[in-house]
Amino acid sequence: MTDFLPLFIEQLQSPTLGFLIGGIVVAALGSQLAIPDSIYKFISFFLLMKIGLTGGIAIRNSNFSEIILPAIGAVGIGIVIVVISRYTLGKLPGISVPDAVATGGLFGAVSGSTLAAVLPQLDSAKVPYEAWTAALYPFMDIPALVAAIVMASLYIGKKTGNTSEKVEIWPIIKESLQSSAVTAMLLGVALGILTKPEPVYESFFNPLFRGFLAVLMIIMGMEAAQRMNELRKVAQWFAIYAFFAPIVHGFLGFGVGLILHKLTGFSIGGSVVLAVIAASSSDISGPPTLRAGIPSANPSAYIGASTAIGTPVAIAICIPLFIGIAENMLGR
Amino acid sequence: MSQQVWKLVIVAEEILSKKLTKLIKAAGATGYTVNAAGGEGSRNVRSTGEPSVSHTLSNVKIEVLTGTRELADKITREIEAKYYADFSIITYIYPVEALRDHKF
Repeated sequence: MTDFLPLFIEQLQSPTLGFLIGGIVVAALGSQLAIPDSIYKFISFFLLMKIGLTGGIAIRNSNFSEIILPAIGAVGIGIVIVVISRYTLGKLPGISVPDAVATGGLFGAVSGSTLAAVLPQLDSAKVPYEAWTAALYPFMDIPALVAAIVMASLYIGKKTGNTSEKVEIWPIIKESLQSSAVTAMLLGVALGILTKPEPVYESFFNPLFRGFLAVLMIIMGMEAAQRMNELRKVAQWFAIYAFFAPIVHGFLGFGVGLILHKLTGFSIGGSVVLAVIAASSSDISGPPTLRAGIPSANPSAYIGASTAIGTPVAIAICIPLFIGIAENMLGR
Repeated sequence: MSQQVWKLVIVAEEILSKKLTKLIKAAGATGYTVNAAGGEGSRNVRSTGEPSVSHTLSNVKIEVLTGTRELADKITREIEAKYYADFSIITYIYPVEALRDHKF
């Protein structure tokens, strides 16, 4: 354990984190710096496309059946996270159950930017992982959103005595699959499996990945600082939940990864990816789905909690923490 | 040659944009105009132009020209029943002159 601290501190000095904090600081100081929305959209498309291509190429060259158990694990984690929020956050004074469940849904869902941040850091730390682990993204993302919307609808139906209205699950899944983040990644996976994209991958997607990631981190930092204002308007419990939930969810994901490690030889690095996917909270695709699916929940509560605190905690604390633990376990 | 018509304006959350325009067309309006909008209301400050990760917090302004007051009222009533409780929406109406007549 004595070796763990220096490893953790070294992770904290990574460029990813520096750019994130830089974004938070300039926005908090009221800077006029603005990165256009269309650039943000292109960068998130680019990063998820690259992650998808990496995964697709890896799946083409490996055994597809390996992904089945981790995918089932990811589905389970996504649903458990929503259940946890229902019975922790939802039980606190002054917190409505729809608000709690919506927040849980967003924290169970996955952030493309956090996923993009962990992969190069694992490469830098030379912790090996299965390249297809990024493809676990939709397996956790969609069940969490579906679980949140179903649980909120059941609760509201019971409360108002109107239990006749059934929740339609397929439209939620369809909307999640059609979201820009998941579409970009799945398209990348498909192109990676079906075509031979190595020339564009090596010359374009791979070399630019880290630079674009750094720009995205500035945007995420600025966004976090701006959303703090939203969060100030809602109960403080959301801020407390948003700080601890990514760490707890990360350990849940890491634990599931270690069980798979014992059972199937799933790598320790893969467990880190699973932990970070669990720790991350959705910032692109989740909010509109939840806003439409649980209209009575307050978007300031769940978007503020996720973007202002959840994502910075996942990137700044959870990524270095789990890479540090993994390096320690690998005996470095 | 001009014609007296009604202009119904709806300022709402962007995620409702498609649902609202569908509702407007279904109610019988011949068309509508959608713009991005920003400002401050009783629920929240809603800004445009800043980098925004999630479009959940953006706004749109939808304008509909209707030939009769009844049609504008019908659209307003449907929006009220469906969305007033849970979403940030403002609707207002005023009489205008359409310069190309017989379009509405």
